[in-house]
Amino acid sequence: MSIPASLLKKLVQIPIFQGLTVPEAAEFFEVALEQTIEKGRTVFREGDEGDALYVILSGEVSITKKSVELATLSTHAVVGEMSLVSPGDTRSATALAKTDIAVLKIPSKRVQKLIKGDHLASLKVVANLAQVMAQRLGAINDRLVSGDSKKKPEAKKEELAEFAGILNRWSF
Amino acid sequence: MTSAEAATWYFKKAARIMDVGERIETLLATPLRSVSVQVSIELDNGEIRTFKGYRVQHDNARGPMKGGLRFHPDVNEDEVLGLSSLMTWKTAVVNLPFGGSKGGIQCNPAELSVKELERLTRKFVDQIHDVIGPTRDIPGPDMNTNPQVMAWIMDQYSRYHGHSPAVVTGKPIDLYGSRGREAATARGLQFIAREILRDVGQQVPGTRFAIQGFGNVGSHAARLFHEDGGKIVAVSDVHGGVQNPKGLDVPALFDHVKKNGTVRGFTGGTPCRNEDVLVTDCDVLVPAAIGGVIDKRVAAEVRARIVLEGANGPCTPDADEVFEQRGVLVVPDILANAGGVTVSYFEWVQNMQHVTWEEDRVNAELQRVMKEAYEKVGQISRTRKLPLRTSAYVLAIGRVGKATVLRGI
Repeated sequence: MSIPASLLKKLVQIPIFQGLTVPEAAEFFEVALEQTIEKGRTVFREGDEGDALYVILSGEVSITKKSVELATLSTHAVVGEMSLVSPGDTRSATALAKTDIAVLKIPSKRVQKLIKGDHLASLKVVANLAQVMAQRLGAINDRLVSGDSKKKPEAKKEELAEFAGILNRWSF
Repeated sequence: MTSAEAATWYFKKAARIMDVGERIETLLATPLRSVSVQVSIELDNGEIRTFKGYRVQHDNARGPMKGGLRFHPDVNEDEVLGLSSLMTWKTAVVNLPFGGSKGGIQCNPAELSVKELERLTRKFVDQIHDVIGPTRDIPGPDMNTNPQVMAWIMDQYSRYHGHSPAVVTGKPIDLYGSRGREAATARGLQFIAREILRDVGQQVPGTRFAIQGFGNVGSHAARLFHEDGGKIVAVSDVHGGVQNPKGLDVPALFDHVKKNGTVRGFTGGTPCRNEDVLVTDCDVLVPAAIGGVIDKRVAAEVRARIVLEGANGPCTPDADEVFEQRGVLVVPDILANAGGVTVSYFEWVQNMQHVTWEEDRVNAELQRVMKEAYEKVGQISRTRKLPLRTSAYVLAIGRVGKATVLRGI
C-alpha cells in the first residue's frame, strides 16, 4: 500500500525507523498492510511463529506473558520487532488489543529480502534495532547486578508485615 | 477479553483498591506450577495423534488445589492459567479449605469416539498422576467432561496410587459421587437468589426470572426457581429461545426438552432468539451459558434489576461498569456459581471419610456455605461501598493473603 507522506514523517521519528529519509521509508513500508483489530482480540500469541512486526497507528495494545501484563503500548509504538532479526522464532509474549486498534503490519520475510539485497533503509532499521536491544540488555544487566534478587531479608519481612497490616485494616 | 483475562483484571482491580503492593500482587497472581504435556494416543483407525494437555496449579495456601478439567479445541495455557486463578478466588469466597487449579486438553471431543476419549483421559492421567492427588490437586468436571470421564480418572490414578476415590470429584453416584452434585450449581443460585431478593425487599414468589442457557446449570435453575414460586419468563439454548411474560409452564417445558432436546419450538410462549433473553423484561437475569455474552452494549439494554452469573465470566468488565452506573446488582460468578465446587468439596469430604450423605444433608450444608459467603460479601460491599464483584475479590484476596502470611513465604 502507499502510505501518505504525513504518516511517513511521523514513522521516521520512531526510534527503530530513525535516520530513514522519507523516500527510503516509503520503500521500506511499501508492502506494509494496514489492519484494524477489534478490542479484546490478540495481535499475536506467545508461542506463535514471529512472522511480522507491527506499528500501532491508533489504540492501545497490552503485552502479557503468562497472563501477567508487562506493558501497555499505544500510538507509534512498535511490537514484535524481534521477528525482524530472528525470523521463525516464536513470540515471547502475547499482544492483545486493549481498545479497537489500527496497526501497520510489516512481514519480516520482506525485510529479510531487503537486507539480503543490501538495501540501505533496511540496514538502517537493523542498526537502530541493534541499538534498542543493546539498551535493553544494559538495563537487564543493571537489574541483575543491583538486583531485585539481592533484596535484603528484612525487606521481605517488611513487605509481608505491611500486607498483614492491610489485611487487618480490611478485617476479614 | 476472555473470561480468564477478565478474572485477572478483576483481581488486579481489587488488589489495587486494597493497596496491596506490586510484589505481593505478583506473588498472589503467579501460579505455583504449570505442567504441559503432549498426549499421544492411537485413534480407532490406527493413526497416532498427539494432543496438548495442561494442568495449572495456581495457589495452595488454603489447601489442596481444586479445579475442573476441560476438553475443548480452544484450550491453551493462558486460558487454563487464568481460570486456575479464578478457582483460587472462588474456593476462598465460599471458604472451602481448597486452593485453585485448572486443566484442559486441546481437542474436539465431538470428533473423538468414546474409546478414543477414554484413551486420551487415561494417557493424560499417566502423565500428570504424580502432581495430582487427594491432598495435592483434585480435578473435576468442566466443559465437555462428565461423570464418566471422572470415573476413568479415578480408575487410572488408582492403578498407580491404590484405591483413591478422593482424587477427583463429579464422579457417577454409583462410583463414590455425591448426591446433589448435578444440581449443585443451580441450587447455589437458588439460595443466593433468595438472599439477594430479601435484601432488596422482594420475595421469590412472583419474581420474574430470565435464564440464558438450558444445560446443567440453566435447566436445574429454572426448575428450582419455579419450585420457589418464581415465574420463568424466558429461557433459551444454542438453538433458540421462548418467552412468556406471564411465566412459562415449567413442567411442560421440561417435557418438551425431553422429547426435542431443545427449548426451541415450545408452544407455551412466543419464540425468541438466544440473545433476546438477555434483554427481556424481567427482575432477575441468569446468564448460564458461556462467557462474554453481556458486553457494554447489551448491558445498557438489560432490564433486570439483578444479574446472577450462572456461567463463568458472562459479563465483560465494560458491562460491569455500565451495570454499576445503572444501579443493577451483579452477583459475580465466583460467588453465584460456587455451589458446584462446594458440593465437589462435600464429595471429597465423603470420600476421605468413606461415608455417604443423604441429599438433604448435602443441600442443607450447601445452603449454609452459600448464605455465609453471600453475607460476608454483602457486608464488605456495604461498609466499603464497593460492587459485589469487587467485594468478593477483596474477600478472596483477604483469605488467601492471610493463609499466605500465616504460613510464611
